[in-house]
Amino acid sequence: MLSIRGLDVHFPMPNGQVVRAVDGVSLSLKPGETVGLVGESGSGKTTVGKTVLRLVEATSGEIRIGDVDVRKASLKGLKTLRRKAQIIFQDPHSSLNPRMTIHRAVAEGLILNTSLRGAALHDKVSTILESMGLPAQFHHRYPHELSGGQKQRVCIARALVLDPDLLVLDEPTSALDVSVQAQILGVLKDLRITRPALTQLFISHNLAVIRFLCDRVAVMYLGKIVEEGPVEQVFEDPRHPYTRALLSAVPVPSAVKRPDRIRLTGDIPSPTDIPKGCAFHTRCPIAKKGTCDTIAPVPVALGPDRQARCHFADHTKGVGQE
Amino acid sequence: MMDSTPILDIRDFSLVFDTFDGAYHAIDKVDLSLAAGEAVALVGETGCGKSVLTRAAFGLVPSPPARITSGSVRLDGRELLGLSDRELRGVRGKDVAMIFQDPMTYLNPVFRIGTQLTDAIRAQSGGKVKRAEARDIALGMLEKVHLPNPERQFKAYPHELSGGMRQRILIAMALAAKPKLLIADEPTTALDVTIQAQILDLMAELVEDMGLTMIMISHDLGVVAQVCSRVAVMYAGKIVEDAPIGQIFDAPAHPYTKGLLDALPHPFKRVERLASIPGTLPDLLNPPKGCRFAQRCASAHAACDAPVGLRRVAPQHTVACTLFEDTPMKDPVHEH
Ligand SMILES: Nc1ncnc2c1ncn2[C@@H]1O[C@H](COP(=O)(O)OP(=O)(O)OP(=O)(O)O)[C@@H](O)[C@H]1O
Ligand SMILES: Nc1ncnc2c1ncn2[C@@H]1O[C@H](COP(=O)(O)OP(=O)(O)O)[C@@H](O)[C@H]1O
Ligand code: SF4
Ligand code: SF4
Ligand SMILES: [Mg+2]
Ligand SMILES: [Mg+2]
Repeated sequence: MLSIRGLDVHFPMPNGQVVRAVDGVSLSLKPGETVGLVGESGSGKTTVGKTVLRLVEATSGEIRIGDVDVRKASLKGLKTLRRKAQIIFQDPHSSLNPRMTIHRAVAEGLILNTSLRGAALHDKVSTILESMGLPAQFHHRYPHELSGGQKQRVCIARALVLDPDLLVLDEPTSALDVSVQAQILGVLKDLRITRPALTQLFISHNLAVIRFLCDRVAVMYLGKIVEEGPVEQVFEDPRHPYTRALLSAVPVPSAVKRPDRIRLTGDIPSPTDIPKGCAFHTRCPIAKKGTCDTIAPVPVALGPDRQARCHFADHTKGVGQE
Repeated sequence: MMDSTPILDIRDFSLVFDTFDGAYHAIDKVDLSLAAGEAVALVGETGCGKSVLTRAAFGLVPSPPARITSGSVRLDGRELLGLSDRELRGVRGKDVAMIFQDPMTYLNPVFRIGTQLTDAIRAQSGGKVKRAEARDIALGMLEKVHLPNPERQFKAYPHELSGGMRQRILIAMALAAKPKLLIADEPTTALDVTIQAQILDLMAELVEDMGLTMIMISHDLGVVAQVCSRVAVMYAGKIVEDAPIGQIFDAPAHPYTKGLLDALPHPFKRVERLASIPGTLPDLLNPPKGCRFAQRCASAHAACDAPVGLRRVAPQHTVACTLFEDTPMKDPVHEH
């Protein structure tokens, strides 16, 4: 459904430096699959998501959605693409026009993209809003009259009403409370059943959320995918030291102290100055001098759909986990 | 712990906001007490009153519109309600320190970190500490909060530092005056998981090694779990449950606490469904007479329409819910 091959997105800076936001990313999503993209701030997740919808231009590489070559698409092709692929952002408030009722906001896309009008249009919008848990009394309200969770439901309804094949969700619950997050996650999980053909790229830095929602996960660090695989496998047997560090940093709702924690020191390096060799070696607890700081690791296949970009990926099991 | 005066003792504290539509009952008869060296989490949904409570107690919520309608706030035995603005400023500069979600708001972008830190330390001492001495204290604090290369960061401007480094600096600044109490209002919400873990480790270390007394505010029970030993759960301006952290996870009593726990996805467990709490906070312009959670509670029954006070279900565990009977026990910290 979505196929990304060798994607680079580089931003030249006024001072002559280059931000290598995305650096050789390849990722495939099968129809109906939900894949999580996780990593620290600045690792390039949003840039991947936006490039897929051509909201940001790639520097090189190939992106296909179905049979559309996104980077070569004509204006007409782009118009179809904008309907077939939808994106939902973290902040539902700034994604909605404050002067439009939510019914109108959802109708807008249909008016622009279809010939649906009148009662048929009205009914289609009402139905989708209701299916998102927004009953009729809300339909003629303005965004400021809704809570954050309700606004995010409107954004999801607005995307789904166009029957997209691909949904890119960029941190859709990070601005929400845990209880409202649970509602939105429920809505998204239901889509797995009600729209089995819908493919979702779910961007988040919350690993617990990814575990709940996704079939597969790709972990990004400084513009590269460093580990990829089925969610259960990656969470239960992470092979990249960065994945292990991320997992041990997740706050777990339990008073039992976790003995197995790996702490990364320092911050993520600047993407204008990516460390040589393995980009993670400056923070890696098991980095090997002479190897990791000079030779860039290539992805090591660990099974079907499973790989990690570390020199020691196939025999690091348990290392540093105590 | 039990026989000493609490560092902070909030009793029967109520506050309304006078709005065009009438009085908004933001905080209602709250009791919250912290012994020296205790780290207590204040947990609840957005808008339930966590920030208003912890700011109003130290004179940080302007009046009008806010109006404190009942209660007392004692800091190490001294009553704070009724103090002048000047006296309260003194308390905040010295005895109570606060850190917030976005450290950038509290750092001046045009001054170097070192200047801001030394100025703050000198101000906290009322000018008694000399510049050179303040500099040593500041560098010492930066080491305590494990800021890498403190000498170098001293010369940096705030925008040159990452969010995690800025939060460390704010913690250093907050603790330099050796406050009796630290209020940390969602200190890690804006940070990445890995950096959040570093800051939480630091807070836990400060509590353990420096005997820091702290209220940590969060809407996520997972975040406070590694730092705090006790949790006070707040809902619609009331404390609905107060218990040691182990009890909150192993034997949560209040239906709202259970709801918060069930809503959390777990990174290491396969969960098919998350229970979410239906509905939203009640309208506090016309707060329910009985339990404020009743509209959203699956166990609500007739008795919940009358005011519900805190009941003790275990020695250190109180809950405001009619599903529980009061078991009288002697516990001076909570005694009225
Ligand atoms: N238009 C741009 N010009 C220059 N640099 C950019 C631009 N867009 C993104 N970047 C940089 O590219 C890197 C990746 O950014 P991106 O927004 O994709 O990260 P992210 O993984 O989504 O982070 P977050 O978790 O904070 O949302 C960052 O260093 C960012 O500052
Ligand atoms: N100046 C104000 N006027 C009226 N209502 C206010 C004011 N400040 C806060 N509130 C209300 O008080 C309640 C508690 O807010 P707050 O303490 O910020 O919540 P929390 O920190 O738990 O998210 C909210 O309903 C908020 O809208
Ligand atoms: S290649 Fe080396 S530095 Fe990179 S993750 Fe593996 S062990 Fe660490
Ligand atoms: S007092 Fe009643 S309504 Fe309130 S939480 Fe308990 S059972 Fe539910
Ligand atoms: Mg992003
Ligand atoms: Mg708050």
